[in-house]
Amino acid sequence: MKFKAAIFYSAIGAAIFLFASVNDRAQQLPVGHATDFTSNQYFEPPNGQQVKMRLSGAEALPLPGGSLDVRQLRVETFSLDGKAEVIVRAPQCNYSPFDGMANSAGHMELQTGDGKVHVEGDGFLWRQTSSSLTISNHVHTLIDMPGATMIGS
Amino acid sequence: MKKIIFILTVSVCGAVMAETNMQLSLPLTLHTNAPVAKVKAPAKPKPPTEIDSDTADFDLNIHQAIYRGHVLVVDQQVRMTCAWMLVDLPTGGQHLSHVVATTNVVVDFTNEQGEKYHVTAKKAVYDYKVVNTVTNETVTFVGNPIVETTNSTIYSEPMVWDRASNRFHFNEPRMISKDTGTNSPSQKLF
Repeated sequence: MKFKAAIFYSAIGAAIFLFASVNDRAQQLPVGHATDFTSNQYFEPPNGQQVKMRLSGAEALPLPGGSLDVRQLRVETFSLDGKAEVIVRAPQCNYSPFDGMANSAGHMELQTGDGKVHVEGDGFLWRQTSSSLTISNHVHTLIDMPGATMIGS
Repeated sequence: MKKIIFILTVSVCGAVMAETNMQLSLPLTLHTNAPVAKVKAPAKPKPPTEIDSDTADFDLNIHQAIYRGHVLVVDQQVRMTCAWMLVDLPTGGQHLSHVVATTNVVVDFTNEQGEKYHVTAKKAVYDYKVVNTVTNETVTFVGNPIVETTNSTIYSEPMVWDRASNRFHFNEPRMISKDTGTNSPSQKLF
């Protein structure tokens, strides 16, 4: 229940930045436009102070239906000890704060926090509630870890 | 006398294996019967493995990637293609622990001695785990697995490559030696 509440507040937070700043770094913005925004999603109690996922962008413009045109999207997920697990970047995407989905036909990149996995492709759908990502085309992955080929050393 | 004992021992071993239908364990260098030696990692850092596919799904909660469509996996020694591949991505891990490839799995592998292997199967499963400092690393091929080497073609269901000991384990294998020509009838090993 509290998890859902966190998502709800996260969505509300993302919406609020259209009218005002949502973090210390953000600027006071005119209605309908935001820059340098951040939206955090937290772990469930008893780790409610720990950030689980952070969605940020350099700029957001409102679109019909309540979604946002986000530039320089950056999604980071964290482990309980605060280490970055995954970082997703996209130059542009449409983000719907109320259903927690981001999508784009453009290019995107994903990298694990330890830098051992790097993925890029064209066209994606990010589902915030399930922390899942679908890349639609031309997926290219680099894995700096043995085992991916099963047979190679 | 020693010669007779040796021949007798080999015969008995062969008979026991034939009767019990047990799994065979052959060295990787099948055609030479060379002693088993673990392949040492090269000293210089390897370039990362590359995976290309049409689409991919990443579940960041369970750290799992699923690749679909024209999956191509390439590194210095291996080229593998399949239609679907699942990869568990351990966080902070130094080694992938579980990989499953299905549908038209084709693996071309060149070992450090330059020997080439061509493996086909419907499915391949890679598992890696360390239990009490013992490393278990296997690749299990199922679905009409076939391994072709320079000199032979081996059929086995399943076919397990124990990478820790660098040995293939075959079950009721059939081997066709290319030295005798491919038109000759297939011979059952042992």
